Amino acid sequence: MKNDKLKIGFYELTGCAGDCLLVTDCEMELIDIFNAVDIQSFAMVMSNNTDGELDLALVEGSVTTEKEIEELKDIRKRAKAVVAFGTCAVLGGVQARFIDPKEWEKNLKIVYGNTEFTHTKPVQSKPIDAFIDVDFYLPGCPVSKEQFLNFFTRILKGNPPEHYPNPVCVTCKYNENDCLLKKGELCLGPLTADGCGSICPNHNIPCNGCWGPVEGANVTSEFYLLKEKGFSVDEIKKKMANFSGTKITDYFQQLDKEPK
Amino acid sequence: MKTITIEHLTRVEGNGGISATIDGKVVTDVKFNIFEGPRLIERLTVGRTPEEDVSISPRICAICTLSHKNAVLRAIENALSVKVSPKVYYSREMMHMGEMIESHSLHTFILALADYLGYPNAIAMAANYGFEVKIGLEMKNFGNHIMKTYSGRFIHGENPIIGGFGKFPSREELIWIKNRAQQFMPFVFKAVKLFCELDYPTIPESDTLYACCEPGNNKYGFWGEEILLSTGEKFKRDDYKSFNNEFVVSHSYAKRSRYNGKPFSVGALARVNVLGERLEGNAGEMYKKYFNEHWKKNPLYHNAAQALEIMYCFERIPQLADILLGYEENPPVISYTTKNGAGTGLVEAPRGLLVHHHEIEDGLVKYVDIITPTAMNCEDIERYCHIAAQELLDKGKEEEIKARMDLIVRAFDPCISCSAHAAQVEQAQQEAWKDRLTEITTQTAPVFIGVGNDERSDDRIGLKLASVLKESGMANVFLESDIQADTALQERAQDRPIIFIDAVNFGERAGKITMFPVEYILNNAALSHKFIPFLSGQIHNEQIKNSFVLGIQPQSTDFGQNISPQVLDAMDKIIDHLKN
Repeated sequence: MKNDKLKIGFYELTGCAGDCLLVTDCEMELIDIFNAVDIQSFAMVMSNNTDGELDLALVEGSVTTEKEIEELKDIRKRAKAVVAFGTCAVLGGVQARFIDPKEWEKNLKIVYGNTEFTHTKPVQSKPIDAFIDVDFYLPGCPVSKEQFLNFFTRILKGNPPEHYPNPVCVTCKYNENDCLLKKGELCLGPLTADGCGSICPNHNIPCNGCWGPVEGANVTSEFYLLKEKGFSVDEIKKKMANFSGTKITDYFQQLDKEPK
Repeated sequence: MKTITIEHLTRVEGNGGISATIDGKVVTDVKFNIFEGPRLIERLTVGRTPEEDVSISPRICAICTLSHKNAVLRAIENALSVKVSPKVYYSREMMHMGEMIESHSLHTFILALADYLGYPNAIAMAANYGFEVKIGLEMKNFGNHIMKTYSGRFIHGENPIIGGFGKFPSREELIWIKNRAQQFMPFVFKAVKLFCELDYPTIPESDTLYACCEPGNNKYGFWGEEILLSTGEKFKRDDYKSFNNEFVVSHSYAKRSRYNGKPFSVGALARVNVLGERLEGNAGEMYKKYFNEHWKKNPLYHNAAQALEIMYCFERIPQLADILLGYEENPPVISYTTKNGAGTGLVEAPRGLLVHHHEIEDGLVKYVDIITPTAMNCEDIERYCHIAAQELLDKGKEEEIKARMDLIVRAFDPCISCSAHAAQVEQAQQEAWKDRLTEITTQTAPVFIGVGNDERSDDRIGLKLASVLKESGMANVFLESDIQADTALQERAQDRPIIFIDAVNFGERAGKITMFPVEYILNNAALSHKFIPFLSGQIHNEQIKNSFVLGIQPQSTDFGQNISPQVLDAMDKIIDHLKN
């Protein structure tokens, strides 16, 4: 019988492996997932991995070593479509916090001293689209199970993935939560892409922006709103930069152009 | 010389590999490599608020996220003198039970079991072992359900915060968790029987030191204020550094740890070894039934220990549910005003002892130190892999080395994201000793010690080479006899690596040179035992870690005064190399 199942690979670069782990967290769907497609590579779960042609590669983690750049380019060559899987792959993740190369180098030295690494050279944490073309983005720290299963089933049926154009605030309103911004908390809901189901505000906890910036976010407006609430510019910028790495700097530049 | 390599460890969390280099009959090098890049986690939250620290630090790892959450919370609450109410304390324990069940059932059933049943993964195994795979997934799902109920999400939930929880689960949710845990018990018995009765290979077996948290009150548990060793020694929370010395190695971005210069183990097996007598109920009965001598020295029993702990968790959950149902009111989040302080939190992550130390200054994080269980296990993983590789090589089963190393690494349930993915066996490069010797002599100032028996032909070579080097005016060269006569040597050589020069029978042609860490002698009965007195008495463990044997394959070690020409050639090669 001809095997016409989609050939899929899951790959981990540097990160917490949470996005691949999330796939195993689909316990009740896991066997169906493995049967629905032809999984060629998934190091966390399988031993018999192969490096052949793929229909879809889901890459989690950010690039932090020279070896990973090579691996990533090889994956791109073999795959018809590449998905940036999780916030680290989409934006660089928490480890992309040091935007200034000098600051990164200083901190690398603080942690590892003057050790010359023999296995591979470290590089500053970057999202995967800094090195290859990416077809689909699935942010989240980690991605949500619902969002992953939705994406997976649509791809399986040959449909394009659903677009999430809304900020967290939209879902938060549907969930009838009290607005934490109104309570004076530093909540990043208006700036952050939805997908989590406003899980933190549902627990009375302000959004920390782990899905990264939503498209077309009105950063300036949120910024001045937070300033009015009495938060310092430094405080706001720091919180906005926690997950979004170098990509948030575009927003900061936009801000710096605005009249103060 | 060749190297057996597992380039990409599979069925573990994160990116790593392991390799063993074989020189004739000797395994000269074993390296557990971590390819996960540097994330600088300990620096990410510096300058951020304690709340941001509690949110970001646990992102070090997905599978132990709540262990990190509990550890960072304990550290910061200690630093800021926040005392949480009993309901918060027990809710956090319940949350931890969820993670233990989730992580242990994933590791035992889904990742490790396939090795023993001969499948590449659990899904392939499901065709014939559907029942086992189903139990594993159901347990994992239940563990995850608890984690989600308490932390908000499967992974990186934000509900646990400094001073309490954003929101407590309802009584109905708690009653459901209690009932569900009780329904699982027949399957938990099956899990314990399965993993405690698996036919674990007896290679490798070697005693080690075990460490875990002291839960206090003579109870089993997953956190405490002290570190307890299998020797009975204890270390206070804030004194963790005197137990654990972290260092960096060039082949990995994960830091390493040793105690008194010696490798040690943490994890489920360590906990069962140190605290097993304290297990109560069915878990206590099962401990008495299954625990034996092998558990004390065979890392493959990690899987059996994890199954015992699954039982402990399933018995603890209904107790915790009853305690929590006793607290009607949900305590408010405790606010704090303290802006300065330093605190340490000790927690048992599924794969072992986890230390978080956080310092706050003027309301912002100033310093973070995190020591993860896999970082602590790295050295013992390499040691056990070396023991196995050498024993299998001695038995002529070289082809089994790769699979065995894979099994050992996986048994430790390493979480490589935490520490910073699988195995490789290589024949060493021709004359690999040269690079090693150059590296050591250029980076440090080693002390050379010639060892041997002056009456046994080629066994004299170590003494002779040392004499020649000494006469040529090289400093820091000694003969075995100098050491016995000069007790001050120990002081002079302190903290400097030692290179022992000796005839070593590693099954190669006469005159071939090899170089390997002196510790390997301890794992290899076929090699010279001449070093043992030095290793056990005159040199401290810190030094052993950095010391090597520079060995020449002898032709003969019969009584006599003649050194064979090939061995003399080897000596000249070494002298030339050292002079250049």
